[in-house]
Amino acid sequence: MKYEIPVGPIHPALKEPIMIKCTIEGERIVDVDVFCSQNHRGIEWIGMNRNNPVQSIYTAEKICGICNFCHPSCLVMAVEEIVGFEVPERAQYIRVIQGELERIHSHLLWAGVAAHELGFDSLLHYVWMVREKVMDILELVNGQRVPKDVLMYGGVRRDIKEEHIPKIREMLKYYAEGFDKIAKLFLQDKTIKMRTREIGILTKEDAMKLATAGPTTRASGVKKDVRQDMPYYAYPDFEVKAITPDMLTGETLGDTYDRIVVRLLEVKQSMEIIEQALDEMPGGEILAEPKVMKVINQIKKSEGEAIARHEAPRGEAIHYVKLKEGFEYLYAWKVRAPTYINILSWRPMLMDMQIADIPIVAASIDPCMSCTNRVTIVEDNRERVLTAEHLHRLSVQKTRRLMK
Amino acid sequence: MNAEEIMQQFQEKGYEVRLSERETGVKNRVKRKGVWVTVGRENLRDAVSFLQEIAEEYPHFSIISTADLGDDVELNYHFMLGYGKWLEEFAVTFKVIIPKTDLSVPSLTDIVPAIIFSEREITEMMGVEVEGLPDKRHLFLTPDFPEGVYPWRRDETGPKETNKLYEGWKP
Repeated sequence: MKYEIPVGPIHPALKEPIMIKCTIEGERIVDVDVFCSQNHRGIEWIGMNRNNPVQSIYTAEKICGICNFCHPSCLVMAVEEIVGFEVPERAQYIRVIQGELERIHSHLLWAGVAAHELGFDSLLHYVWMVREKVMDILELVNGQRVPKDVLMYGGVRRDIKEEHIPKIREMLKYYAEGFDKIAKLFLQDKTIKMRTREIGILTKEDAMKLATAGPTTRASGVKKDVRQDMPYYAYPDFEVKAITPDMLTGETLGDTYDRIVVRLLEVKQSMEIIEQALDEMPGGEILAEPKVMKVINQIKKSEGEAIARHEAPRGEAIHYVKLKEGFEYLYAWKVRAPTYINILSWRPMLMDMQIADIPIVAASIDPCMSCTNRVTIVEDNRERVLTAEHLHRLSVQKTRRLMK
Repeated sequence: MNAEEIMQQFQEKGYEVRLSERETGVKNRVKRKGVWVTVGRENLRDAVSFLQEIAEEYPHFSIISTADLGDDVELNYHFMLGYGKWLEEFAVTFKVIIPKTDLSVPSLTDIVPAIIFSEREITEMMGVEVEGLPDKRHLFLTPDFPEGVYPWRRDETGPKETNKLYEGWKP
């Protein structure tokens, strides 16, 4: 007997709007269908019809609250390539630091969510307490905890000042000291191992065929990282290496555990990059052209097309931009968020798994629906809807069962 | 195989090819490269299969981007090649221009499985008929979204009526 279980539309495990319809036979999942959205926010339309290119930077920032640096960064890079803006050296280093701070906070946020999905709430609270340190630094540097509003065509709007540097170094020290504890809690813990090892496997072949990006693809052994393959900003100076789980455990299974390993190692890698960037940061200007009207006019006079990519915490974000001479807005703008492409991997991951595994497997690609859908769903009210609490309870029960 | 070699291979096949470059980095100056191949829709499947044949690794599909050019619609199929090695990745883009009187392209889902979301997206957003697409449901828009309205168009089929939120916003 087959049943269909809708997981969503307002997300039971992720608190974000997406619907996964799983067909099950007993406890085993035999088919998976994903429904992305029912209501489009139309951010691309706004950039193409309503906002001027400078306003669009800050609209792009609102695509996603968590990775609010990667989207404006892609847009800015694409326009800079078309118009030919040169970015001052110091600004390129600041952009690197901002990008890496974002990665640290996003990965720690994910680690907390993952612990919660497994029913390990004390770990969630611990990780999020640790994450506060980087949030404080973001607040110190940008004036606000979450949105950065720091990018501008041809540079950045805010400098990292002398007095910020000791505080950032202190944060790096704090994380360097605490890293081993977090790594031990996540990687040695018996419960986490039971719930994630060999759960939600994505083979290397599937990862390549489904064109997955970011930690999801690297956990399956594909050494793909934009910072390594096609560096942008000052990244060519850092020689970033794509992280795969075999660096720590010696093997690559492509399961949920491996995705935890990759993200934890990436936090460490980001810390190293920030440290090097602080040491080598050159002085000088941070913005090539401070007059906004001049920038807008220059963009208006330009024509051409470009794609730009940024290694966001969840994978690579890609924007395509086309400008037309005399046209006030972006002529064409396409945003591809990492989750857009990573969602496809849910199907192979969830096949033959159990219902209780849905939350952690779905969470393991670190999905960000606001990036992908730019939506809210108000739909579908079928009789058998599993609530968040119910699903969470199932997940906790499985952990208890395994511990007996 | 680097960007120039790929470019040469496609030139030999008789396609129109352009190379884009952008310098980046501070101490270590490197170039980000992109190969732009213009293909007709009748050659699209051949061109993508040819890319899969000559590339050393599986071409990483990124996205299909579109632009409304007035009488025509432009589709760009973006792929990434050479990933996994320091500084060796570059983009390959297939540009297809089709007239609005006959908006259709062949589906690539059998040779590039990851393309399915993008093909569903251009169907609903740009009104392009994708021939042979196995799943023609809406992806990002509601199932009851009005027919014949395409959010990314710049002509009379654009979302003027449906987009009431911004009415009167601009002088």
